Amino acid sequence: MNQLTLLNILIIVEAVLLLVLSLVVFSSTKGSPKEKKVVKGDTKVLKEDFLPIIVHEMRSPLSIINGAADLLVKNTNSLSVEQIHTLLNQIKVSSTTMLDMVGSILDISKMESGRFEITKKMSSISLVLGDECSYFEPLAKIKDVGLECTSNVDIPDFNFDPDRIKQVLNNLISNAIKFSSEKGKVTINARKEGNKCIIEVCDVGVGIPKEEKQHLFQKFFQASNQGGRKGTGLGLFISKGIVEAHGGKIWAEDNEPKGTKMIFQIPIDTN
Amino acid sequence: MPKKIMFVEDDEGFYNIFSVPLKMKGYEIIRIADGSSAVEKIITETPDLVLLDIVLPGTSGLDILKELRERDETKSTVVIMLTNFGSDENISRAMEYGANDYLMKYNIVPSELPDKIAAYLGECQEFAVKMTES
Repeated sequence: MNQLTLLNILIIVEAVLLLVLSLVVFSSTKGSPKEKKVVKGDTKVLKEDFLPIIVHEMRSPLSIINGAADLLVKNTNSLSVEQIHTLLNQIKVSSTTMLDMVGSILDISKMESGRFEITKKMSSISLVLGDECSYFEPLAKIKDVGLECTSNVDIPDFNFDPDRIKQVLNNLISNAIKFSSEKGKVTINARKEGNKCIIEVCDVGVGIPKEEKQHLFQKFFQASNQGGRKGTGLGLFISKGIVEAHGGKIWAEDNEPKGTKMIFQIPIDTN
Repeated sequence: MPKKIMFVEDDEGFYNIFSVPLKMKGYEIIRIADGSSAVEKIITETPDLVLLDIVLPGTSGLDILKELRERDETKSTVVIMLTNFGSDENISRAMEYGANDYLMKYNIVPSELPDKIAAYLGECQEFAVKMTES
């Protein structure tokens, strides 16, 4: 790979980053300035500006992109092909992380201003579940966590937004895998109860302290017993917004004897 | 024998950007991604230097540092904190526990890290020679 190609890649990356930052600042300043935040492991609700928190969250991927780009520019001729690949891949991964954060911020901004919309179409929940499970299989394998997905055959196709429901499943399954220890197990099940489709994502991880469950779906909340694992604390807030936009609800229960059971239900609308 | 550095870092991105220039300088890098196993692995591997993050799954970097200083096998091992958390409280606790230095990831260009590391390894070498001579 020659220096010119690398420089071109870096220029594109920097342009994307500038765009991303502009969007974040625009979105954050446009929303309500006094957001509520629940601090990690604390039930205390604090008033905080959205901007400093999200800027802090973006600093890590930005630093990594900047560091990788710096190494590529300064050491183009002395890096091995494998090292160049590692650094370029890291730029890609960290850029994706930032774009996901921007997507989350835009979703929250829309939800809070009442502009969030879903696009329902006749879809199969079993197929959506199957896609998500296939997507997470490699990660589960790397973490040595069992992943089992089942879907009852009696669920008919119905109207929902498959991309948004995938987003909810993505959040719940990635959390379940993230908080599972080695040799743990994550099970996902979809079933029909009356005119509702109920989906459960169960893990056998550390669980959520009882007193913190009520805060689980608040922005920035992170349970106190997560053992230093990092996250933005936005995923469950957005998941709740998506499920509620479908006319459904989402909640958490203990997964006896150990772990957490995240459950959401959406109406089966076949019209 | 290349100098051995143990890098206690759960974030793969930070590990990648900081380990590449160290490897280019010829250091052997061993990564530990989980705080709970760090102390035992450091004792087993006897590294020349430890780079230690603070927020880690399992056990925090400050608790790891405290335990390293309490154990005979590791009380003199060079430990440099490499973290995002630059609060006065964290820095003073790390120094109180016996960190050799406290570096902020945001303030370091990865390509400059080997120079900072080399200085500490050099000090260790001199110290080792003095100890042998005495």
